[in-house]
Amino acid sequence: MNGSDELTPGEKRAFEALPKERAARAELETQVVAALERRGLLPIPLGTAAGRRRHVTPWLVGAVAAALALFVGGFAAGQYFGARSGAAAVLSGVQASGASAAQVAAHAERAGTMYVAALVALNQLTDSADAPTRARAKQAALTALGAAAEEVAHLAPNDPLAAAVLRGLNERSREQGPAPSSRSVVWF
Amino acid sequence: MNAVAASDLPASPDRALAEQVLAGDEGAFRQLYRRHTPRLLQLALRLLGGAEADAEDVVQDTWIKAVEKLDTFRWESAFGTWLHAIALNVSREALRKRGRRQETAFPEQMEPSAPAPFERVEVMDLERAIAQLPDGYRTVLVLHDVEGFTHEEIAEQMGVAAGTTKSQLFWARRAVRAQLAPVKGG
Repeated sequence: MNGSDELTPGEKRAFEALPKERAARAELETQVVAALERRGLLPIPLGTAAGRRRHVTPWLVGAVAAALALFVGGFAAGQYFGARSGAAAVLSGVQASGASAAQVAAHAERAGTMYVAALVALNQLTDSADAPTRARAKQAALTALGAAAEEVAHLAPNDPLAAAVLRGLNERSREQGPAPSSRSVVWF
Repeated sequence: MNAVAASDLPASPDRALAEQVLAGDEGAFRQLYRRHTPRLLQLALRLLGGAEADAEDVVQDTWIKAVEKLDTFRWESAFGTWLHAIALNVSREALRKRGRRQETAFPEQMEPSAPAPFERVEVMDLERAIAQLPDGYRTVLVLHDVEGFTHEEIAEQMGVAAGTTKSQLFWARRAVRAQLAPVKGG
């Protein structure tokens, strides 16, 4: 290596004059935080769609599946709960509009998501929600879970998960005694 | 451009913020991010030869790796130095993926006579000359002449011998001088 390898004072000044920092776009910060949240490296804040997914309690997770399955099951689920007219209305509306299976599924997803979102919101109001209100919400979720499990059992009689859910709900029902004569849950 | 300036941030020790990040405090992360990202972004941008989108990807991946490993950081060096090392590795990985490493071919293309040192040069011209260097040479020159690392530190971070980085720096400086030399006969 020869002497010309060394920087002259003027060259050193030129390199020192180069900026050492560059302001980042504000959007980059949002992207980085979101990337960390997706990887579970930062908690997802409540109030966002992703946050609701993360903070739901197990019975609400069940309600998600239940709500979706209940809509897909439609008419039969309505029979189970004595809410035949509501389910029939949904079904007839779908038939009248000529909706495809994909559209029906999308409808079920939207409605189920709204339903679960309402339960999540209620779940987050632990301090202000009174006991009867919370009990009613819980009953709604459990009932939906049972209905969904019934539908899955009709579709796939050997499905072990559906069988386990139904078994668990039946045991719970036996432990708690007969159901009240009138249901306070309004279905869809 | 809607930008965040590092100088606007309140002072808080990195370690305290890092501990809050480990406890899941997003606000603490944002403070750390705003404190260190301007320097990371400039470093990545320079190492990647001015590719803005790639530099942002490097910044994002650097933070992901940093938070993933945060609980293993022993605080025996400055947090910024540690981040810097991660950013260097991520940048080199990005360069590898981009397939632009040409350091073995570059010296053969150089003219044998040493170009004269430059004395007065515009920042933009110097940036452009650095950006046009082959990736390996640019990395060494940026780390040594711009960021102020020693050959031993660079060699350790890059996993090569110090003699290698000295050789690369020699050729990198020659190339920069050649690019900044005034055109003769014009």
